[in-house]
Amino acid sequence: MSELYEQIAESVVNGMADEVENLVQKAINQGMKPKEIINNGLIVGMNEVGELFKNFEMFVPEVLISSQAMNKGMEIVKPLLKEGDVQKAGKAVFATARGDLHDIGKKLVIMMMESSGYEVIDLGVDVKPEEIIQAVKEHNPNIVGMSSMLTTTMPAMKETIELLKENDLYGNLKVMIGGAPVTEKYADEIDASYSNNASAAIELANRLISCMQAV
Amino acid sequence: MAIKRRNKRAVKLDDSIRTNQVSNNSIQFRVLNENQCERLYNAVLEVMENVGMQIHHKGAVELLRNAGCWVEDDGITVKIPSHVVKKAIASSPSRIVLSNRNKKRKLFLERNNAYFGPGPTLLNFIDVNTGERRPVVKNDVLNTAKVVDALPNIDFCMSLANISDCTSDLADVHEVHAMLQNTTKPIVTWAFDRDNLDTIIKMFEVVAGGEKELQMNPNVLIYSEPTTPFVHTYEAVDKLLYLAEKGLPQNYTPAVQAGATGPATRAGTVIVGAVDTLAGLVISQLKNPGAPFICGGVITNMDMKTTVMCYGSPEFAVMHAATVDLFKYLNIPTFSTAGCTDSCILDEQVGIDQAITIYTAALSGGNIIHDVGYMDGGMVGSLEALCMGDEIIGEVRSIMRGVRVDDEALGLDVIEKVGPGGHFLNEKHTMDNFRKEFWYPETIERSNYEDWKNSGSLTYRQKLNIRAKKILEEHQPQKLTDDIIEQLDILVEEAEKRCKK
Ligand code: B12
Repeated sequence: MSELYEQIAESVVNGMADEVENLVQKAINQGMKPKEIINNGLIVGMNEVGELFKNFEMFVPEVLISSQAMNKGMEIVKPLLKEGDVQKAGKAVFATARGDLHDIGKKLVIMMMESSGYEVIDLGVDVKPEEIIQAVKEHNPNIVGMSSMLTTTMPAMKETIELLKENDLYGNLKVMIGGAPVTEKYADEIDASYSNNASAAIELANRLISCMQAV
Repeated sequence: MAIKRRNKRAVKLDDSIRTNQVSNNSIQFRVLNENQCERLYNAVLEVMENVGMQIHHKGAVELLRNAGCWVEDDGITVKIPSHVVKKAIASSPSRIVLSNRNKKRKLFLERNNAYFGPGPTLLNFIDVNTGERRPVVKNDVLNTAKVVDALPNIDFCMSLANISDCTSDLADVHEVHAMLQNTTKPIVTWAFDRDNLDTIIKMFEVVAGGEKELQMNPNVLIYSEPTTPFVHTYEAVDKLLYLAEKGLPQNYTPAVQAGATGPATRAGTVIVGAVDTLAGLVISQLKNPGAPFICGGVITNMDMKTTVMCYGSPEFAVMHAATVDLFKYLNIPTFSTAGCTDSCILDEQVGIDQAITIYTAALSGGNIIHDVGYMDGGMVGSLEALCMGDEIIGEVRSIMRGVRVDDEALGLDVIEKVGPGGHFLNEKHTMDNFRKEFWYPETIERSNYEDWKNSGSLTYRQKLNIRAKKILEEHQPQKLTDDIIEQLDILVEEAEKRCKK
């Protein structure tokens, strides 16, 4: 693999936006394929970031800076891409459950998902099941993510899933949930998937997406 | 018979007259000096006046508007000019006294008086009999209250629980129902909304014998919470107004996480927390000038690797201390946090985190210091951890007294009497002083190896467990009368009926 790709990946890991920009430009000038710049450079770097974060070797702000660096590179490459060259990782609608105002955990998960190439629509806090259904109809996401930090607001997630089913929307998407009181067991009971932190959430999302593609 | 009077004169305390003496009656400690407090306070005023806040309560917004605050067209965003804040601080009492259930005035929340107690709303509990981690139940609250009642260094009660085996919307009501029955110590608690709060206050009024009785000698302090940064929900403000109107003590406690809901600097995070809690104070004073109000909260950082909200970091310790300094500068009673940990099990880390946070909190002199016995960053509680905290607080209390310097303490007479090669064990001076000057542990080990082995080779954890169980078996908290218990039961039943509707 080209040394330039390696340098791009390294600059992403180190969060050096300007360098990413220069290197990507250089790669384009040298005639490298946009798709390969992304897959062999930018994404390789971001995957390493994910790995480091998961192993507690990288801090949240560093992850976000790396993701900004990657996006700087993306901006240059994007206009040169052909149809179908790269796909969005997926589209997700996120909300904090009705009655619940805790949102830092959810915001973190969203930022991490965005860093991994997902498009995420955040409906905010204290979101009613009907509002989530409305948003699903409007945005047609692959994933619905819900966060609940209170035992009293967990039932709202169940309600949402029942509503998704009633509206024949459940079959077209995957539901992932999280938050301090939520457990794997509870998620199973309400037909959702669970993860306990932000990096596990990305892995879960990726798994859910590939499940859907396999079907 | 000629009776000789012994106490003819007043006691002559010192043999020599020493003028203009200044002595330390305790250890000295401060994070922020006057100048720094002033700078922080001005920064707080600037944020309130310039950035403003969202207040999702029409009644409160009107109060603020009428006081001269700027309300934006959305009817929610409010900017509070400095003069309004200053006036509110001026009308807010500089001292609040909490009584026990028998109306004995116990906790003097003023100056640097530090009082410790457990924390609220934990999801899980470490079972004292099995050591297993499981969902917290109402019985755990009864036990917590009983242990709090017995522990000598725990000054007030909190539930350590968000009860799982009751109507979930009434977990707050059931907590109080349990706590009131098993401790006479003052209770610090919370409520989901105004309705539940009303039930809770009625319960306290039943026990106190009336509304005025409770106001005069409150054995309750209620907290509600802003959503940091700068969002005040309807429920939070509504509870705040209710309590202001009632004239009952309350605190408004932000939970700030440096780097996430606050800036990644200590000063910046203290400012954000102070803005949120002071906004509550302003609203309370506008509703009812003079309403008792306590400032402070949980001021900590987010761990940038694991993303947990830290309950045992050095930043946690020092930012709480700085917050206390700031509010003491403003002459407002303070709420602080200590005795908690991020450790998930009862291990050495609990000891480290508790010791450091309790020591710093005691040094800084926050008035109501909560969360003793909190583990796993606010996810699990433990009676053993509470007993550990009690022991550490006892030890810290002893350190805080510093070194007494007077003629008796200097002990020149006894030193002369014993002289070279003698010993002090037999001296009256020793008898008179050793209980006052030395602290004695309940669980900390101080025997030699043989004795420790012969008494069962117990680990510290085992000893904490034994202490907790012993209290549960033996301690008899003062009972409420059957009549009062019946009235409390009825209030809970009414709340249950209201919830079913
Ligand atoms: C900060 C905090 C608050 C703040 C929230 C501010 C904000 N902007 O979010 C304030 C002060 C407002 C608050 C209020 C209340 N709180 Co609170 N709060 C907390 C606290 C201390 C930390 C939460 C936090 O931010 N953690 C840091 C973030 C990064 O972690 P996280 O949220 O867990 O998210 C991670 C994972 O869970 C996961 N995740 C999260 N969401 C999702 C979603 C998906 C799809 C996936 C896959 C993963 C995922 O990934 C995240 C990143 O790693 C917790 C205790 C705790 N340790 O959780 C209590 C806690 C959640 N609160 C609790 C309670 C009781 C309340 C109140 C009812 C208290 C009251 N007196 O009113 C109110 C309720 C208000 C409401 N209606 O929501 C209880 C809940 C108990 C229970 N049985 O339900 C807790 C556990 C109690 C405690 N011990 O302090 N709280």
